[in-house]
Amino acid sequence: MEKQFKPKISVFHCINVFGDGEVLLPPERQDAAVEFIKLPCSSMIKDVFMLRAFEAGADAVMVMVCPEGACRYVEGNLRAKKRVGWVKNLLDEIGLDGRRLGLFNVPSEDAAVVGQIIEQTLSDLADLGPNPAA
Amino acid sequence: MIVGEQKSIEEIKKIVSPYKKVLILGCGTCVKTCFAGGEDEVAVLASALRLAFKKDGRQIEVEEFTVERQCEDEFVQESAEAIDRNESVLSLACGAGVQAIARRYEETPVLPGVNTTFLGVLEKHGLFTEECSGCGDCQLAVFGSVCPYTRCAKKLLNGPCGGSREGKCEVDPETDCAWNLIIHRLKMLGQLNNLRVYIPPKNWSGSGSCGPRKLIRKDHIL
Amino acid sequence: MKGNTAGKLEKILSSDGFAITAECGPPRGADAQVIRNKAQVLNGYVDAVNVTDNQTAIVRMSSIAACAHLMAMGLEPIMQMVTRDRNRIALQSDILGAYSLGIQNILCLSGDHQTFGSHPEALNVFDIDSMNLVRMVLDMREEGRDMSGFDLKKPPRMFIGAAANPFADPFEYRVIRLAKKIDAGADFIQTQCVYNMDRFKDWIRMAREEGLTEKVHILAGVTPLKSEGMARYMARRVAGMDVPEPLIKRMGGVPKKKAAEEGVKICLETIAEVREIKDVHGIHIMAIEWEEIVGEIVETAGLMPRPTLKS
Repeated sequence: MEKQFKPKISVFHCINVFGDGEVLLPPERQDAAVEFIKLPCSSMIKDVFMLRAFEAGADAVMVMVCPEGACRYVEGNLRAKKRVGWVKNLLDEIGLDGRRLGLFNVPSEDAAVVGQIIEQTLSDLADLGPNPAA
Repeated sequence: MIVGEQKSIEEIKKIVSPYKKVLILGCGTCVKTCFAGGEDEVAVLASALRLAFKKDGRQIEVEEFTVERQCEDEFVQESAEAIDRNESVLSLACGAGVQAIARRYEETPVLPGVNTTFLGVLEKHGLFTEECSGCGDCQLAVFGSVCPYTRCAKKLLNGPCGGSREGKCEVDPETDCAWNLIIHRLKMLGQLNNLRVYIPPKNWSGSGSCGPRKLIRKDHIL
Repeated sequence: MKGNTAGKLEKILSSDGFAITAECGPPRGADAQVIRNKAQVLNGYVDAVNVTDNQTAIVRMSSIAACAHLMAMGLEPIMQMVTRDRNRIALQSDILGAYSLGIQNILCLSGDHQTFGSHPEALNVFDIDSMNLVRMVLDMREEGRDMSGFDLKKPPRMFIGAAANPFADPFEYRVIRLAKKIDAGADFIQTQCVYNMDRFKDWIRMAREEGLTEKVHILAGVTPLKSEGMARYMARRVAGMDVPEPLIKRMGGVPKKKAAEEGVKICLETIAEVREIKDVHGIHIMAIEWEEIVGEIVETAGLMPRPTLKS
């Protein structure tokens, strides 16, 4: 029998979006393999962090940033958006599928939105399947 | 500075595919500034290649190393051990850097990971523009310090062609017409009379059409 | 004006005549019959035929060869030569060869950029520019020397043409450039297609004020429009072309079947108007792949018969 696919997700997030992601995780997903990585500002995300997360076995990587216009450092989330776009193209080129990577503008401490995004990603992963380079 | 652009992952995969161990060697000078081959780009490319090969089920080891300048032997030496550990080197330097490494490590395949494109200027963050062709015979004084050899698609020396429109080049509407810039500069400098001067055919003999060029500074050679 | 070549074009222009030239594009193939057919429809209606040199950077039969075919039929060619594809060595060699075949007239151009043509991946040359080419041909004729200063045995004596675009930017500079081309050695100037008559007249006025119109023969370029679409395409897509909106509307205002007729009408009006300008010494008809209309235009314009000077 084929092993059940248990998706692994890495979430990079700005601490101004939320402080502790575990608390925001929907209760029924508390056991899901979701890893939260805090950044002082989403502009701290580097291309290589996202790629290394995939190297470490993530099936999807999410970057959660403040809503546009609400970045504490003015344009941090815009820079993050550009980099995510760049790495998505790179993933497509590699054949890993850029859809495994996403940027999400999230209102501060909004558990409902975080929950929804994670649910959506998990359901997308059901189609995308596991990371082929894991 | 020298501007370059990293090759596509697909091309790089093809270039390194015969080897099991590849050192990606960055250069911390020009290509770092244009985001083609500095330490950060080495890390990204290494990670991307590892993912790509793993996805394809191939076992290729990718190591990373960056030196200050690949075109100077003094800096190249620092990479000696890393090069010895690998079967091949993928250099992210300009073409000069690739050849400088190859010269020192005769038995190691040294492969290009970057397309060297031009001598340019950082116009704004993320935008680089070509402004010099290294023709070996600089005439910028006549042209208000805007180079028509480099910046006019037809290398016109005696004024704009008939295709310039609203200050833009007919070949690429995103590019300023070099002659429009020259005329503007000459106007600012009060040197519009330069436009009436016939510019004779350019002497290209120092431009590289006579084989590789050399700069010899006897006062610096022992 | 120096000159004194053996050609008919120069004879007409220097005897205060009104010259008519037409453009003839060589085929994308090696069939000389295509040229002969085009020559047939032009024969008798024009004083010289202007043969393009890989125009729009599309590979075609060479201008020199096509000129030779025209001469064999008794037409006088104007050989276009662009600096895009040949360095100074090849340019000079081809000029010597062309003259040896009897080609008397040359139009010196830089050429359309290769990115617009059939071989965008080609390396361009642009060793010298069109201004330098004009001077090179002049030096051959007047000094009897090639660019290196070598005394040529039987130097080519060609009637030298250059292009001018009164409609391109920057406008103030257009007359300065004309002056430079004349200084470099241009005997005649062929302009970009005239649709914007006001601007053309402005340009002529400025040239006159600089004393240029006395030093050179200006031939006004005209191209009959075939359709509203063509007018719009030229206005929007063809670099350096100025087709005013009212003219496009006029082409669109007639039924499609009558559009070509309207285009010819506009062309005739343009010709009538430029003939009124004393500093314009002729017209150059660029009927793109429509050579058969040239005769009708010349005839209806009242420009027949053509002078029968021996070339």
